[in-house]
Amino acid sequence: MLIQKESKTLAYVNMFAVLGTLENLCDLVPEAKALLKDKKPISVGFAVKDGPSATLTFADEHCTMTEGCGNCMIKLPFSTCDKFNGLIDGTVTPIPSKGFTKISFLLKTFTPLTEILTRYLKPSKEDLQNSEFREISTKLTLYTAAAAISQVGNEDKSGKFSADHMPDGDIAIDIAEVMGVTVQVKNHRLITIKKKCETPRAAMTFANLDIAGKLLGGDVSSMACICNGSISMRGMLNMIDNMNRILDRVGQYLS
Amino acid sequence: MNFTTYEYTKSHEAFERAFKVIPSGIYGHQGPSEGCYIPQSAFPLFSSRAKGAHFWDLDGNDFIDYMCGYGPNVLGYCDPDVDSAALEQLKKENCVTIPSSIMVDFAELLVDTVACADWAFFAKNGNDVTSLAVITARAATHRKKIVFFNGYYHGVSPWTQKLDYPGILEEEVANNLYVDFNDYVALEKVFLDNKGEIAGLIAQPYMHGNFCDNFFPSDDYWTKVRKLCDDHQVVLIIDDVRAGFRLDLAGSDHYYGFKADLICFCKALANGYNVSALCGRESLKDVVSSISYTGSYWMSAVPFAAGIACINKMKELNTPKLFHKLGTKLTEGFAAAAGHNGFHLAVSGAPSLFYLRLTDDDSLMLHQKWVAECVKRGIFITSHHNHFINAALTDEDINKSIEIAEDAFHALKKIID
Repeated sequence: MLIQKESKTLAYVNMFAVLGTLENLCDLVPEAKALLKDKKPISVGFAVKDGPSATLTFADEHCTMTEGCGNCMIKLPFSTCDKFNGLIDGTVTPIPSKGFTKISFLLKTFTPLTEILTRYLKPSKEDLQNSEFREISTKLTLYTAAAAISQVGNEDKSGKFSADHMPDGDIAIDIAEVMGVTVQVKNHRLITIKKKCETPRAAMTFANLDIAGKLLGGDVSSMACICNGSISMRGMLNMIDNMNRILDRVGQYLS
Repeated sequence: MNFTTYEYTKSHEAFERAFKVIPSGIYGHQGPSEGCYIPQSAFPLFSSRAKGAHFWDLDGNDFIDYMCGYGPNVLGYCDPDVDSAALEQLKKENCVTIPSSIMVDFAELLVDTVACADWAFFAKNGNDVTSLAVITARAATHRKKIVFFNGYYHGVSPWTQKLDYPGILEEEVANNLYVDFNDYVALEKVFLDNKGEIAGLIAQPYMHGNFCDNFFPSDDYWTKVRKLCDDHQVVLIIDDVRAGFRLDLAGSDHYYGFKADLICFCKALANGYNVSALCGRESLKDVVSSISYTGSYWMSAVPFAAGIACINKMKELNTPKLFHKLGTKLTEGFAAAAGHNGFHLAVSGAPSLFYLRLTDDDSLMLHQKWVAECVKRGIFITSHHNHFINAALTDEDINKSIEIAEDAFHALKKIID
């Protein structure tokens, strides 16, 4: 168990797990989709020195993230991982190196989108009273956590130790009859695919959204849930065991 | 033959009560999570009584038990000879201010039984004595590092756990070195890369890890490892907690033709009475004397009496030979039942500690379904762990188990068709 978070790993989590969840936010939250209505396609690149780089493309009321930022229209460079992490926690204001004429998108669309995302990923008790909000919040949190599993498994010292003990294959993380995501393991490197897994080698299934929400919120233990049957697992359980160790570490990065 | 599948109403009612007052309801390897109850609904959760090779759950369901309490049941539950010795001792004394001299009798018996033992130190759990073995190695060598084989299990103390385990500090596992079993070249490299820094090497006699087929040491592996440890003055520790007395009553190192410096016993030592033992060579006796290590119940007399009766009866029955015969008959029957139904069952490890895996898919899911069908029909096996044979297992039990396995394969075929 490591106590400290690594700045570089946090940058990867912030990039691909947190900002990456804008993809799902724009699909699931009407308020977010509305911000993109009638907008021309635009792309924002994030280039972090000695860290991750990715581009968010907004088109047809959807958002997609791709690795690298060679073809972006607005480019936001960061000299260190700490600076990029500062963008996510709101302590750093980025200065574009490209796309000055499109800066209004950052102010009028991108920033409001990230504010909506924050509302869903760090929900208030009041918001969680609304069942529709709670459902979307849980789904988005699962997408974020699942994406973070791969980043932590590939970058973090403890995460890599866990990934080194995982055999190849696909892990299904499902909420029964609601949604599913896939964590693909190959040569101890992890990739998260935000789609239900068709041929899992191991599977972890939450009985319902409520249990998923409680586990991802740190309110219940996965071991206890497995014991009482509210989380079921099957297949190569050493894959799930090690993934859950990474998930514990993800909790530190996302807190 | 068709077997009725079990219901677990009372088990689940008790579990609901347990979940309110006990972490996870049932924590650890005897619970649904670490016990890999897949699905949880297929398994009994609480037992009500046990006898011989059987236990009965709270709902009265009868199970032929191939987990044997994860090892302690070696002669059969409630063995009359062991229980009688324990009860006789209980009438005299148990946990007293000074130890009963029966402790000496037990130590003498172990020294006479275990090939590498010049002395015996008693505690309660396997973890107590694996920990003492590692402390002893460090005290003897004034070195920090310990070599482990990947896939190991040596207990639950922080030194046995890993960097990514909750509550385990990086510093607590910083001196752990990991290498693959049977890869002598890699082991030699670890010794050379850490020359003068390795206190001990701790290992099970063969790899009986979870979720994978168990495998044996290559022909001259242990001889070479023994020499390597001697050349580098590294203490060779055999963790015989799981395999001890099931391969060889003189210790599993004896079975494989070498002599450990320290050997750890627990499970089969006293047929369920709580005692563990670290045995070792004369040269390490004074080192152990210098270590501050004790516990409130470690010198309780009843388990010593049980241990003496258990070892004597194991000798009388020649249990390793018996277990080999029983385990072979059982697993050959299981494998044949699989074949009759178009499945392929891999049986690995020693017959007395057999490990099972259906090879028809690479995810264990098919295997887990078959295990669940077996459990629901009355044989308690697991999908992730090696099993255990006990001396009370009868031919009738084995025949019934094979029939249940066959019926479970029929059910499996229906599920996947």
